[in-house]
Amino acid sequence: MRVFVSGVGGELGTQVASLLEDEPWVGSLSGIDADPPRSRFERTTFERIQPDEHDRIVSTVLDFDPHMLVHVGVWEPDARASPALAATLTDRAATSILGAAAECASLEHVIVRSGIEIYGRGSGSLTRPDEFAPIRPTSEWGRTVADIERTAASVAERVGVQVGAVRLGPIIGPHVPSPLGRFLRLPSVPFDVWADPSFAVIRQDDAARAIVAAARERLSEPVNVVASESVTVLQAARRGNRLPAPTLRPQWPIARRLCHMAGAPVPDHVFETITRGRLADNGRMRELLGVVPEQTTPDVIDSLYSWPSVVRRPARKQVA
Amino acid sequence: MNAEVVPLPVDRGSTNAATDMLAGATSVGVRRSLDGASSLGRTVNRTGRAVNGTVESIASSAGNGVRAATRRLTEETTGATDDWGRDPLLVRNMMWLAQLRWDVATGGDQHLPKRNGALLVVNSPFLAFSTIFTAFAVSEAIDRPVRFLVPPGRDRRGLFNRRIGGLLDHPDELAGALRAGEVVVMSAATATGSRSVGEIDHTLIGAALATGSKVFPVAASSSPFGRRARVEIGTAIKPPRRRKGPLSELELADRLRTDIGDLLSAMGDISTGTPLDWLPLSGIGAH
Repeated sequence: MRVFVSGVGGELGTQVASLLEDEPWVGSLSGIDADPPRSRFERTTFERIQPDEHDRIVSTVLDFDPHMLVHVGVWEPDARASPALAATLTDRAATSILGAAAECASLEHVIVRSGIEIYGRGSGSLTRPDEFAPIRPTSEWGRTVADIERTAASVAERVGVQVGAVRLGPIIGPHVPSPLGRFLRLPSVPFDVWADPSFAVIRQDDAARAIVAAARERLSEPVNVVASESVTVLQAARRGNRLPAPTLRPQWPIARRLCHMAGAPVPDHVFETITRGRLADNGRMRELLGVVPEQTTPDVIDSLYSWPSVVRRPARKQVA
Repeated sequence: MNAEVVPLPVDRGSTNAATDMLAGATSVGVRRSLDGASSLGRTVNRTGRAVNGTVESIASSAGNGVRAATRRLTEETTGATDDWGRDPLLVRNMMWLAQLRWDVATGGDQHLPKRNGALLVVNSPFLAFSTIFTAFAVSEAIDRPVRFLVPPGRDRRGLFNRRIGGLLDHPDELAGALRAGEVVVMSAATATGSRSVGEIDHTLIGAALATGSKVFPVAASSSPFGRRARVEIGTAIKPPRRRKGPLSELELADRLRTDIGDLLSAMGDISTGTPLDWLPLSGIGAH
């Protein structure tokens, strides 16, 4: 089976491709991204293409003629790009790649990376929405992933293939550019003094395993992928020995600006997470994917604070 | 690399013995400190003794409650919240506060399932907060976190309710919790009088039926002027007839009302033994 991975240059995409290389059912593997992959692949062919190079994307995908498309080429706001640029890049990539895949004669299945931000945190929204909960995004990132799912669904309907959506919680992992991770690692972490709601996250390794499992199981519906248990911002700050900064609602604009100046911008979906919480029902993961996260949310948060800022590696061969 | 299936957490029952031993040790320590407090109280004068005695009595009963809460809920880790955003530490503190207000006797908890989800429907007298004290009391009795349904409310209040085990009173939310094996308390509509039961939202009962969870009638009785309160859990109720449509949830809701009323009648009234019992607003004397 030929598998095409978009967004293979990111941390998550690289890990997904590496795991797919070990899957016995995967024949040839190819991937594209605007950035080079973060590790060396054994049998994945990589092509560096910018999201706005539609013709190159289409020709690359058509030449490969994949049986399965794994689309993880998305840009989370304030992770590697500003919110406006992230939305543009994600939209362009989704349209080009999914559109090109629709032209492939051999295409059988599409797996897209989505997010639990798709459910939104509006008034009266469920505490722990499952996959059947209504989609009412209330943040820019939520609307972006909803658009990706919508595009994938329309492509699937048009060409008669199946689509599975892996709705990931906020991803945190070593070297993963995560605005929530940066926010929680600030020396002083603002938290909502009256509410301080709970949120769940997912470690990058578990997210990659879930996407690979979705491809292996030919997932044809959405599935929530979040670690079990949850934490609040105050609890996370205490776990990391950070100074919690109690913040009232009128003080949040100033707090966000200060966080931005300190190197941790707080986009609207992260702000929503820390002031209104973000949980999701992961009860169908085992049934649909056959895997469950290895780490709980408190474990992921603990490991967030134990990562060294600089990893020093000795030279393989001392020359001086 | 093949993805591995991680085994589910082990049954909580296996750790109960160790927890009980630990809780026992904790309660002995607390009891010693309270004994120390009562020996200090003997040295003051008569008026001081009376005041001190009252304070000690309140502290002692609250302390007993805390010990009970600690003993039964020590398995819950602090420093994190659970899958539904319930903060065990905050709940423990709220239970301590609730025990200052209510001294709840719980009966019938043996009817509740040990592991599966269940829906408890309780009567809701005016300003009695029966949903909350029932959830806390049942949680203590069965040694499991118990959720309760609350209206969406305003932003901050709704989020705080979720931290102490509150869930949105929406059928989807309830169905999700019951599917996850949670015990959930919901209230009937508010009614005046200690033996009257308000309307029961049949859509929520429908969510329980859809998930195959058991539904229990619960009678709660408390006094606005005293600490004594009682929670009595009846046996699980099934729909009177097998129906294809939503009629079964309506019939079950009606039967729940009747059964809760019967339980309330069987429990009798809580009285203070003072003329306060005659006040209609107290909910004690007004039937």
